[in-house]
Amino acid sequence: MHLHKYEKIWLTFGLGSLALFLVIIGFAAFWKGTHPMSHIETIDPQNVEAHDSFKPENLGLREVAEGKYTVNIVASAFNYDFGTDADGKPVKKIRVPKGSTVLFQITTKDVVHGFQVAGTNVNMMVEPGHVSRLETVMKNVGEFTVVCNEYCGIGHHQMFATVEVYE
Amino acid sequence: MATDNPKKRPVQQSGNPHTGINLKGTFISVMLLGVFILVTWFGLYALFLSR
Ligand SMILES: [Cu+2]
Repeated sequence: MHLHKYEKIWLTFGLGSLALFLVIIGFAAFWKGTHPMSHIETIDPQNVEAHDSFKPENLGLREVAEGKYTVNIVASAFNYDFGTDADGKPVKKIRVPKGSTVLFQITTKDVVHGFQVAGTNVNMMVEPGHVSRLETVMKNVGEFTVVCNEYCGIGHHQMFATVEVYE
Repeated sequence: MATDNPKKRPVQQSGNPHTGINLKGTFISVMLLGVFILVTWFGLYALFLSR
């Protein structure tokens, strides 16, 4: 088969890119453990309180070790439940020091929601029946808005909170 | 479909159908698209690493 000189160049370039990105995907999946946020673990969406992480008293921010935090959240139309503060008011803002490792664990009681901490790499889909988890290092200082980025109904825009990373 | 057209042009019988075709414009467009894809991919990866 005869190929034009230019065809040879762009076929080499195209196949080279394909090989490069397949290697990157393999590296991310097998060496770095990158996988979908909703793991194989399932949960009864009608009874999320049965799961230890989503008991009302376990919701919100908790320091589990020096510089390591867990944030448990239950999403529902149209709210993120981060638990309540000392006055019994719903928590809408969490604060962590810069450089801390934060594990976000979230599930939903009803429909599919999103959980994005805008301006960070935290961005997950939250599906009923599944627990979405994402661990990240908060390396940049700032106030980041948590938004729902999966249209979930009429009050979709009311689902928000704040994550503050301080020095 | 074109194959149903009885007046279709005869198939080029030459052993080298690309002879005499100027593919320079095609080549430049294909390479520009490839470079664009690579630049956006690595740009987004840099954004991912910085956040
Ligand atoms: Cu929503």
